[in-house]
Amino acid sequence: MTQAELGDAIGVTRQTVIAIEQGRYSPSLESAFRIARHFGVGLEDVFSWNE
Amino acid sequence: MPFQEKSAWVMSLALLLGSVFYFGVVAAMSEGISQLAPPTAPVVAAFTVILVVAAILGHVAIAVFSPKDASEPLDEREREIFHRAGHVSGNVFGIGAVTSLGIYLLSGSGTVLFYGVFISLIISQLAEYGIRIFLYRCSI
Repeated sequence: MTQAELGDAIGVTRQTVIAIEQGRYSPSLESAFRIARHFGVGLEDVFSWNE
Repeated sequence: MPFQEKSAWVMSLALLLGSVFYFGVVAAMSEGISQLAPPTAPVVAAFTVILVVAAILGHVAIAVFSPKDASEPLDEREREIFHRAGHVSGNVFGIGAVTSLGIYLLSGSGTVLFYGVFISLIISQLAEYGIRIFLYRCSI
């Protein structure tokens, strides 16, 4: 799957997918759930948070 | 490069082009009368036409190369970028406008007030486009 395809699937631009991948942008909860559901996994399988 | 970043570049260049024209004319007029030339509607109208035409041509050019991106609505990250840039731009314009009013109170010159607010508007817009470009490239 390309970044553009993932972006189309969750309703964001390819650049936003890149920014999320690089850790420069934290997606909204809604987008985070969309990404996780798109891959059929849980939220914490895709995202992690370090205090 | 995202469409909205290209758009910010186009608008910056269009605004710079219009500003160079406008202040070039004002400088020439001022030189002729040996004082700051008062603002005139035809010059402001010409500035507006240059800005609008340059913006339209620029946007058509970038839309031709990425038609899909051109019709896409802003996504959540882009909305945040626009919000942050607009916030800074508003502050820049506010500071410029208040400074211009202060200068008017001291000088009593409506001409200086007009140019002060006009320049503040241009600088605030350039700041907005510059911050958008910066945020697209370096930050969020």
